Amino acid sequence: MAPKFQIKVFQLSKFVKNFTIISVVTLSFLLVFFSKTDYYLISGIKNLSSSVIIPITRFISAPVNVFSNFIDEYNQFRSLKFENKILQEEIIRLKKWQILAIQNSRENKVLKKLLNATDNNLTLIKTASLINRNDTIYSKLINLNAGYEDKIKKNMSAINERGLIGKVIDTTAKNSRVILLTDPNLSISVKSISDEIFSLLTGNGDGKYLVSSFVKENKMPRLGDIVVTSGTAQVFPVDLLVGKVAKVEKNRFFVLPFVDFVNIDYVQIVTSK
Amino acid sequence: MEFSKFLNSSSKLNIILIISFSISVNSFIIFPNFNNVFYILFHLTLIYLIFYHYHYYLYVVALIYGILFDILLLNNIGAHLITFLSLLILYILLRKYLIRLSSYQIIFTYFITLIILLLIEHFLANFLHNYKFNMSFFFNLILISLIIFIPTIFLFTKLDK
Repeated sequence: MAPKFQIKVFQLSKFVKNFTIISVVTLSFLLVFFSKTDYYLISGIKNLSSSVIIPITRFISAPVNVFSNFIDEYNQFRSLKFENKILQEEIIRLKKWQILAIQNSRENKVLKKLLNATDNNLTLIKTASLINRNDTIYSKLINLNAGYEDKIKKNMSAINERGLIGKVIDTTAKNSRVILLTDPNLSISVKSISDEIFSLLTGNGDGKYLVSSFVKENKMPRLGDIVVTSGTAQVFPVDLLVGKVAKVEKNRFFVLPFVDFVNIDYVQIVTSK
Repeated sequence: MEFSKFLNSSSKLNIILIISFSISVNSFIIFPNFNNVFYILFHLTLIYLIFYHYHYYLYVVALIYGILFDILLLNNIGAHLITFLSLLILYILLRKYLIRLSSYQIIFTYFITLIILLLIEHFLANFLHNYKFNMSFFFNLILISLIIFIPTIFLFTKLDK
């Protein structure tokens, strides 16, 4: 006679179920509460997501990334002929400019020696490349392949050849997160070059423009004025290029950043000397 | 195909959740709508799981994805976590009424739930995290929802046999 096996089904008791719900809801409430106060636990969760979750999501989304890169390369290949013509014309134009630039550079060096001026006030910490970006839905964040092992710290400035990109907000051993200028939660203190009008700029939410949230003495800069960091808030080094005044309204003005946030490949992490 | 036999529909839906989450948190510059499509797909899958495969483990799933979405997309915990858990709690409260609905009414409720979920997330992102309510982005999400809703339902019913 074949032996009969009885499988005992263990069901979660009502108490355990209710306990799970209550503990999950309580934990959520605490996390939401502590996320505003930048508690150690929240910082740990953020670090974990940067160092563990992002690589996993990158691995899973790799086929889409490959497809996206393939389409990009195909589009670039299609426009090669046209671009080649433009580049040939530009080479001729740039050669003329090069002669002029060499002359200006020599003149500049002589003038700097006369003024006893230093080249800049920045210390380069690390040049890092972009590993992924989260700037489509809600926030404007990018992740870099360098962290505190490369001496990158929180609140350091991120720049590229065009100007200020943003600020480091989180660092792990090998990664760091940068909040872009276009994020509505980043404020930068700036001044206009021509009139030295001090103001605070934040992201407009559209990912394109920066908008003034405070203007000192309500003086508005002129259209086309270049805006640089003022260095007054001690967060960003002074005189980093930010953008150009694109629109002036009664109580606020809009700035178009110099940095092309769509095409960021390499970022320099700098701090003031 | 043989491998899929070992997985029940709930596991398959969880795999869709992982894939759609991964793609929605990695921005693709050439196809920004890719992220939006998978962001919507994630929401649709989560609602479907809650409606048709309700289990207590979904609280943990909602907690984990809520935290990760909040940290990766908003850099603060709040909007997604609150929305996902509220959806689960609301489902328990309204379950006895939902069971009585016809299939068409369920589909309509499913779509309305999705839109309300996105709307609440937008409001909470504005209220808690200072991300302004972006009307064009929200309409873009609704448009994508309208486009992918029926194919997604079709796919899920196929998975569920």
